Amino acid sequence: MRLILLVLCCLSLQLSAHEMKSAITKVLFNQRTGNIEVMHRFYLHDAEHAVKKLLDKSADLIAKQSTRDSFALYVSSHFQLKSDGQDLKLSLVGNELDGRFFWVYQEVAIPHQLTQLQLRHNSLQSLWPEQVNVVNIEGRGKVKTLKFTPQQQWQQVQLSN
Amino acid sequence: MSYKKSCVALALMLCAQASLADPIAQTKGKFEDKFRQLDESLPTPNIYRNAAGEPGQQYWQQQVDYKIKASLDEEKRRLSGSQTIHYKNNSPYTLKYLWLQLDQNIFKPDSMAEVTSTFGGGSSPNNEMPAKISLDELRNLQFLADHELGYQLDNIKLADGTKLKFVVVGTQMRIDLPKPLKPAESLQFSMDFAFNIVEEDAVSARSGFEHFPDDKRKGGNDIFLFAQWFPRLVAYTDYEAWTNKEFLGSGEFTLEFGDYEVEMTVPADHIVSSTGDLTNASEVLTKEQQQRLEKAKTAKRPVFIVTEQEALENEKDDTDERKTWRFKANNVRDFAWASSRKFIWDAKGYQQGGADQPFVMAMSFYPKEGGDLWKKYSTESVVHTLEVYSRFSFDYPYSVAQSVNGPVGGMEYPMITFNGPRTELQKDGSRTYSQAEKRFLIGVVIHEVGHIYFPMVVNSDERQWTWMDEGLNSFLDGIAGREWDPQIPWGVEARDITDYMKGDQQEPIMTQSDSVTRLGPNAYTKPAVALNILRDVILGRELFDFAFKEYATRWKFKRPTPSDFFRTMEEASGVDLDWFWRGWFYSTDHVDISLDKVYKLQLDTKDPDIDFERRRKEEQDKPMPIFVELNEAEGKTTWVERNKDVTDFYDENDRFTVTNKERNSYQQFLADLEHWERQVFERAIEENKNYYVLNFSNLGGLVMPILLQLTFEDDSVQEMYIPAEIWRKTPDAVSKLIVTDKTLKQVVVDPKWLTADVDVENNHYPRQIIPSRIEAFKREKSKDLVERDIMQDSKTKLKEPKAKD
Ligand SMILES: [Zn+2]
Repeated sequence: MRLILLVLCCLSLQLSAHEMKSAITKVLFNQRTGNIEVMHRFYLHDAEHAVKKLLDKSADLIAKQSTRDSFALYVSSHFQLKSDGQDLKLSLVGNELDGRFFWVYQEVAIPHQLTQLQLRHNSLQSLWPEQVNVVNIEGRGKVKTLKFTPQQQWQQVQLSN
Repeated sequence: MSYKKSCVALALMLCAQASLADPIAQTKGKFEDKFRQLDESLPTPNIYRNAAGEPGQQYWQQQVDYKIKASLDEEKRRLSGSQTIHYKNNSPYTLKYLWLQLDQNIFKPDSMAEVTSTFGGGSSPNNEMPAKISLDELRNLQFLADHELGYQLDNIKLADGTKLKFVVVGTQMRIDLPKPLKPAESLQFSMDFAFNIVEEDAVSARSGFEHFPDDKRKGGNDIFLFAQWFPRLVAYTDYEAWTNKEFLGSGEFTLEFGDYEVEMTVPADHIVSSTGDLTNASEVLTKEQQQRLEKAKTAKRPVFIVTEQEALENEKDDTDERKTWRFKANNVRDFAWASSRKFIWDAKGYQQGGADQPFVMAMSFYPKEGGDLWKKYSTESVVHTLEVYSRFSFDYPYSVAQSVNGPVGGMEYPMITFNGPRTELQKDGSRTYSQAEKRFLIGVVIHEVGHIYFPMVVNSDERQWTWMDEGLNSFLDGIAGREWDPQIPWGVEARDITDYMKGDQQEPIMTQSDSVTRLGPNAYTKPAVALNILRDVILGRELFDFAFKEYATRWKFKRPTPSDFFRTMEEASGVDLDWFWRGWFYSTDHVDISLDKVYKLQLDTKDPDIDFERRRKEEQDKPMPIFVELNEAEGKTTWVERNKDVTDFYDENDRFTVTNKERNSYQQFLADLEHWERQVFERAIEENKNYYVLNFSNLGGLVMPILLQLTFEDDSVQEMYIPAEIWRKTPDAVSKLIVTDKTLKQVVVDPKWLTADVDVENNHYPRQIIPSRIEAFKREKSKDLVERDIMQDSKTKLKEPKAKD
């Protein structure tokens, strides 16, 4: 195995009991809209502490739309879908604060004759090695769950119809 | 506990999933008894824990008292101490050896936790992709390599000086007794111990030091948090004997109650916060500090014992002098403390009343980095927690309750908790905090102080069952949070856990802590949601709260196991909950009840003059055959239309025409009815009700009550609760007959999303399209007021309106 050193400066980790260090993403094949809809759910706890490191100390998810947008952009650049090695270009639909959660939305039209999907989700993993991103694939047969850790970069699923 | 940054990765032990050899088996067909009684899966009741879930008539637990002298070498960041342990064998068994926990040994390079930590934190290996290692992991490895960590032990001997033979096994140590310790006998032995203190930020422990290089004092300052800092007895129990299970990092602690006398010698300018009562205040506190403490007892708001100014002064300088602080704590299962010259200290008395502990002092210790956030909310949150938790359990049983800010995100010990949230230093030198950080502080203080009840007093076995303290505590911290400010989204909603529960990667809640892949949803959220559902949907608050309080008081200062919780909740509520524990705690099923079909039945009157007319109407209501419709459209006329002069009897009477033959048989039918049959029949005809059959299927496997909302044509709404027992004979599908005067327009299952049903689209009849989050989001790009940047906007200066020219 090749070892890649992630160079990140000045990380001092502040851990809170309520940081879940996990996110859950729903990848939904929505036949109504004809889109693959990607809905990422982060704990506000995690996201808030993350933006302070990713952006700056004045970042504030509750108070600032700009912080929310920046974080959504960050997430969208850390989640990828491929089919047969071809990138599926997801568009960033928006983001939303809902109770204890922060949501980021992306979507792309469902390609023709899609039989398998490769996914990667490494949001926050360069900040926290213990970050686990869980992805549920729904709307194509039984729910399939994938777990992404920093060492699990790309995973593939076969899709049923 | 905390969510630990587990560089010490979860070692995924293979838990025996093999089906238990069940003597009773369904050997034909597919029937699964979701209501099968749990007794056969629970341990057999005995004289130590009975069938009611209570401590049995001969319940026992060991008593372990400690006298500890500790000394902090700040320069070397080393703690050394000596302790005398008094061990009372209350068990009916003779002990030939004692086991101790050496938690500091988890940091040794050859510890099981280190050696079995898997690269990738528990995910299965991936051979195709290049691996990544983060700076954090490297920092961790470097710290472990640069420092000699783990316990150094010496002088392990009996009171009379006899050296004791001992064997260290990882994070545990066996001490062999020269003479077996019989039931009711006591033993006193002592040892010296020392260890180098870990840097919490580097290795992620539940204690350690945090360095502040920018403080004015030369070389900066540290905050020291001490936990798992002395060799502690492994619990010896009636259900597992010695509960020795290697400390792997996730599974926390299984401990004995005892009395502690602890003295710690630290630099004279340090302030110490500790489990227990300070017994030599006059030696370590100034006159003024003692007076302030007195004043704090009756103060409305926290009183500073050490002010920020005084703490800043302390921070600047050094001293060669040392002070010894003495604390005494009775009936605690552990002992922790904190020490720093950086501490601001505030306190506020809380009169909780009651006979046991009418007065409690709530206190907080924090550096300037805690700032206003801590000054305003830490101690107040401590008091609020006591108010709420006591209502659900028992009066807070100790004299102090403390919140200490340091490098640990959140961790609990008897009478003392460590909590992480802080303010941020801005470029202009001010310290600010976001609304989110404020929520975290209040939330974490409530959570950690709540742990003083569960598991510090209700002493569950954390190493085995994380959910017993975290699940119960998350359930209660949600309640306490809502009582602090219902506007803040604290609680655990049923819908928060559906994505986890519907997935195909999870373990049952009843899984040993170190084998759980994601402790957050598994041991915190899911059990807390389950308890919320039990309280607000299944039992109702009156039954639930009574049973829960019964559990807490039964096991106060004792050691409950999961079966004691399950049995007590069932026994005290009077409701059979075995199906609930099976579904939520013993399985990985999820909730997905689908309302597949609704159809209407009509009662035949048997009166041909009524029924035949109904049939005729039904026939007429059927759509016209397309052939006929197209012929008409083409303007084709039929033979009958063209030849109207040719008719007979059947042109006047169709097949629904009633004759006296039918009328006679109807009268005969009535005459043949028994008296009671005629009464029932006539009443049913007269009432002319609507009969609806609702077909449900259980797609998720977890049986749950069916919460129905019926909407009728006149727009009236009726709520209906069908207990889970409806599934007992056919757990996959059931039909329910609903009789009503009204005409049914719509049926919804679980309209308020209370049951964690993972698919709400199939809860509607007629089917309703439930938009995905993205669809909903696009529909109303929220113009929510929360979106305003109030902090920024509030800086706007008031302007005079511009006068018109
Ligand atoms: Zn906890």
